[in-house]
Amino acid sequence: MAGYLRPLLAVLMLFCASPGITAEAQKDPLDSFMWERYRERFLGDTPVRFDQRVRVQAPAFAEDSGQVPIDVDASAFNGRFQRMLLWVELNPIPLVFDYRPLSDGLANLSINVRLEQSSAVRVAVLSDGVWHVGGTRIEGEGGGCTTPGIAKTEDNWSRDFGKIMARRFDHEPGSRVRVKLSHPMDSGLIPSTRPFYVEQVAFIRDGEPAATMAWQASVSENPELALTLKGDSDASYRFQARDNNGNEFDHAIP
Amino acid sequence: MPFLDGAVRPGLAKMALFVVLALGAVLLPPRYALAFEYELKPVAVAERTWVVEGRREELSEDNGGDIANAAFIATGDGVIVIDTGSTLNYGRALRAAIATVTDQPVRWIINTHHHPDHVFGNQAFEGAEISALPATRAALKRDADSFRATLYQRLGDAVRGTETVLPTRSVQQGEGRFGAYPLQLFAFSGHSGADLVVLDPATGVLFTGDLVFHRRAPTTPHSPGIGIWREQLGQLRALQFKTLVPGHGPVSRDGSPIEETLDYLDWLDGRLAGGAARGATRNEVIQAPLPERFAGMALVRYELTRSVSHFYADYEEALLWAEPDTTK
Repeated sequence: MAGYLRPLLAVLMLFCASPGITAEAQKDPLDSFMWERYRERFLGDTPVRFDQRVRVQAPAFAEDSGQVPIDVDASAFNGRFQRMLLWVELNPIPLVFDYRPLSDGLANLSINVRLEQSSAVRVAVLSDGVWHVGGTRIEGEGGGCTTPGIAKTEDNWSRDFGKIMARRFDHEPGSRVRVKLSHPMDSGLIPSTRPFYVEQVAFIRDGEPAATMAWQASVSENPELALTLKGDSDASYRFQARDNNGNEFDHAIP
Repeated sequence: MPFLDGAVRPGLAKMALFVVLALGAVLLPPRYALAFEYELKPVAVAERTWVVEGRREELSEDNGGDIANAAFIATGDGVIVIDTGSTLNYGRALRAAIATVTDQPVRWIINTHHHPDHVFGNQAFEGAEISALPATRAALKRDADSFRATLYQRLGDAVRGTETVLPTRSVQQGEGRFGAYPLQLFAFSGHSGADLVVLDPATGVLFTGDLVFHRRAPTTPHSPGIGIWREQLGQLRALQFKTLVPGHGPVSRDGSPIEETLDYLDWLDGRLAGGAARGATRNEVIQAPLPERFAGMALVRYELTRSVSHFYADYEEALLWAEPDTTK
């Protein structure tokens, strides 16, 4: 909308607004026209609150729209949240992940996603029966010299297919796990390719899932994840994943 | 309204249309009514040598792509233009600006490298010979369509009519003659993969292209690596010159822009390496505070954001993932 229309609309709304309109829902701070639809689809009838404690950080613009890093810090909810969702409102596949922290997962993570165009990026954290929602906006256009050569997709992915690299760092109040998995993460939206992507990842401690995530194909090719887990360096974790073709991946985290 | 009853007299209709159009021309902001107007002012920097400094900004509708430096030498036998800007209309404005200081025709163009803010004014200099490194021509041919798409996205109407005009003459390191006028040419690669540096031995003016930035953060999209770029800046240091014309930012009488570019690249290298080694996320690397000494440099956070996208995966490959893993 052109800038000069806004004040005009504001004035019009002063005349039109009835007292009832302001009550119910909080106004979407990102002013995204898809918000209501995804609130309904992903969050259902559960109460929703826009909450600054759900901090979402991303570059202001996507230099490489195939690999856009999103950081989430909602550590105010550590130990008292049950799920976390991330979605990109104007992506053809909006949902990125559905994270269940279980026993060890904390609300501090980073993941690379695909961005189809300028969009609101939203994170919802379910805590005590309320979805706490934060977000940010990313501009889709890259810098002046962005070329397809930079936003490359690897042709010979089969060579490294399934390769997992993992590291671990001390990170209050536990440890930060970095994982990179070689996988094409094909969405199936490109003609003549079928969906081929990692659906499920888990961090296993003592043989039991300690945190899990369901992924969609909006996660970037060769996915990268940083996740903070409760366990310190004495805790031993394994990373496990499974794709929609039934391939299974398993790697110890140092 | 009886005025509109029945057939309107054709003369009246025409007049009404004229009034509407005239009002439109008066009331609409100028950029909708006219081509983008560049205000280019050649500044004499040495004998027979002028520079037109671009704004220290990123491509935008407000600047029409006037963000890079152009320079020219009036040899006596014709003008050599070094870099031609982002659009056809910039090229035309540059040609007009040249005509305000010399009657000589533009006979030669040099494209220092293939980036869009340096080559898309080529089209305005019909008949001029366009010199570049062979790899510059190949890279422009490869990237031209996506560059033009980006320009349209960022500059809008200012790009109208702009076509790709590829270099017509391959040059290489060594002496290059433009008519009878000799220039010393140096072939580097650190900024864009093929970067031509031009030294005019007669005046001592060094035209560095984007191998050197001044008070504006360096851009890195096609750089083969920060290490290679730094090494080549070391070679530039050894050249004898009196005046340095960087690709972006103000002209200098000494080598301080080389030192500034080196300092920035050293810092960038350290920032990326440090982040990768301690497992920092890309956003953490982008958002960490910037050194105070870069306060006077335009677009540091912006270019850092881009450079993280260009390079961070390589740094992680070397410093994060390459650590020996004994636990599998």
